[in-house]
Amino acid sequence: MSKFKKLVDFKNWQKSTKTVAMVILAILVVIFVLSSLNVSEQDMLRNASPEIEQIIEDEKTSSRKSLTITYNDLGVISYISFTTSGASALKESYVGFAGGIYGADEGGWKFAGQMVNYTYRMLGTGENLLHGVKLTLLLTTLSMIIGAIFSVFLALGKISENKVISKLSSAYIFFFRGTPLLIQMFVIYFSVPGIFGFAWRSLFAAGDPEAVYKGAFIAALIAFSLNAAAYCAEIVRAAIQSIDKGQNEAAKALGMGYGQMMRTIIIPQSIRRMIPPLCNEFVMMIKDVSLVFAISLMDITTISKTIMTSEGNYLVFIPALLIYLVITAVFTFIFGKIEKRLSIYE
Amino acid sequence: MSDYQYILKTENLYKSFGTLEVLRDVNLSVKKGEVICIIGPSGAGKSTYLRSLNQLEKITSGKVFIKDELFLHREHNRTIHRAEPDAQKAMLLEMGMVFQRFNLFPHKTVLENVMIAQVLVRKKSAEAAKKLAIEIIERVGLSDKLDVYPSKLSGGQQQRVAIARALAMEPEIMLFDEPTSALDPELVGEVLNVMKGLAKQGMTMLVVTHEMGFAREVADRVVFMADGMILEENTPKELFDHPTNEKAISFLRSVL
Repeated sequence: MSKFKKLVDFKNWQKSTKTVAMVILAILVVIFVLSSLNVSEQDMLRNASPEIEQIIEDEKTSSRKSLTITYNDLGVISYISFTTSGASALKESYVGFAGGIYGADEGGWKFAGQMVNYTYRMLGTGENLLHGVKLTLLLTTLSMIIGAIFSVFLALGKISENKVISKLSSAYIFFFRGTPLLIQMFVIYFSVPGIFGFAWRSLFAAGDPEAVYKGAFIAALIAFSLNAAAYCAEIVRAAIQSIDKGQNEAAKALGMGYGQMMRTIIIPQSIRRMIPPLCNEFVMMIKDVSLVFAISLMDITTISKTIMTSEGNYLVFIPALLIYLVITAVFTFIFGKIEKRLSIYE
Repeated sequence: MSDYQYILKTENLYKSFGTLEVLRDVNLSVKKGEVICIIGPSGAGKSTYLRSLNQLEKITSGKVFIKDELFLHREHNRTIHRAEPDAQKAMLLEMGMVFQRFNLFPHKTVLENVMIAQVLVRKKSAEAAKKLAIEIIERVGLSDKLDVYPSKLSGGQQQRVAIARALAMEPEIMLFDEPTSALDPELVGEVLNVMKGLAKQGMTMLVVTHEMGFAREVADRVVFMADGMILEENTPKELFDHPTNEKAISFLRSVL
């Protein structure tokens, strides 16, 4: 418990850690606030400047040109572009923030507008890659947390002296490490409801328009958690068994029971040794989550594929890679900090 | 003063690892307040004997009595008699153990090391445990190291903390398993001094040791073990000066 207190004891963090943590937190808050804003096309056009209204009016009557108005529900950036039919030239002239549309004809605004437009086009216009980040992070973090907790029991089971418990735990670990995650997910999403006669979407209210999507999320979460538990269990077991036997004997000689010994002596010491391989496992999981494309959950990978097919934007995979890289870097950094914090006694 | 004859007694203790017999018919009786040093060549079963007293090793057969009460009786790897769980726990707590490699809890400070079992096992309040812990740590001369992690201590200091940790459980018997063997020579003295202090206060002690000077000075009785058997048992003066057993003679000649 005191270990945990030290971790959350923000006041005593190093200054650099504090800064990074604050920046990450700020970014997360901004993303969440912005993704909850939902500016409609009409709202944006309502704020449009007279010049733009004029252009739109002109375009309506033109048969040669078509007008594309693009916005995203992140609400930050929107732009209007004009396509000359028959030609592929794309002319971007305007940029708007949070629904306000500004003229970008001159100077700095024009430059800023173009930069933003290019960036934005890279990330996709209709669907946005950043929307997928939410799902990827949520699925990775939740399934790792659930899996890690479950894995402690699996690991203790595997090293248990009770033969039945030990064999059962070993079988579980063998099964989930010996079969593909994708098929495990298919079994849970398709086969299990088939066998037991229920539907994942029926977990949610009948009128819920997102019931199917939420149902798929639950199925994926279960599959990933069960799989993560198997992999983490081996990590936990190895860490527990790496603790010097003398610690066991000292605890026993002091009259501690098995539970007390595990809880206060062995597991707290092994946690530090679990961190590097757990970080590894976490990074693997971030990438494994891309398998949800197979059950139509919109994570970074699925969205990039969608953007590619719907918009013909073959460059979209490059920012997708970069987003994965950033997520991985952030979590590696966090795990490194945790490891350092847990090593104070060494 | 005490209503029992022997605080600790073993009868016909046998222990084997597979086909290797480590203990062969070990009989020893310890009276309250006695300091007994167990000496002998390595592989003689000294440590195994000590460890089988507090159940770190399962004996193959034999009887262990604590305060004249039968604590454990096994024959051919089968338990014939065992004290009730509560009584068993109480009897185990009569024995404090100090290990060759200290085995302090590295993630706990000195104070926490000495407190933790008091709170978890003796069910004391944190304040009471802390009070006793501070008192005992002072006795081993480490009052200035209360909040230090073991990794920052010298071997001798770590072993003194380990002794304090065992004492904090208020045992009646202290088992020392080669407490100075892992120490640099210049650190041996500080640990032996703490042990001498304990002996003076009348603590019952079983010490497996290679420190013949300590055995000669402090022990009431010295036990010579070889090949899993007690070959000679006498006062230190008699045993060191006039050993009778052949193996004891050659062992003492090699170490003295």
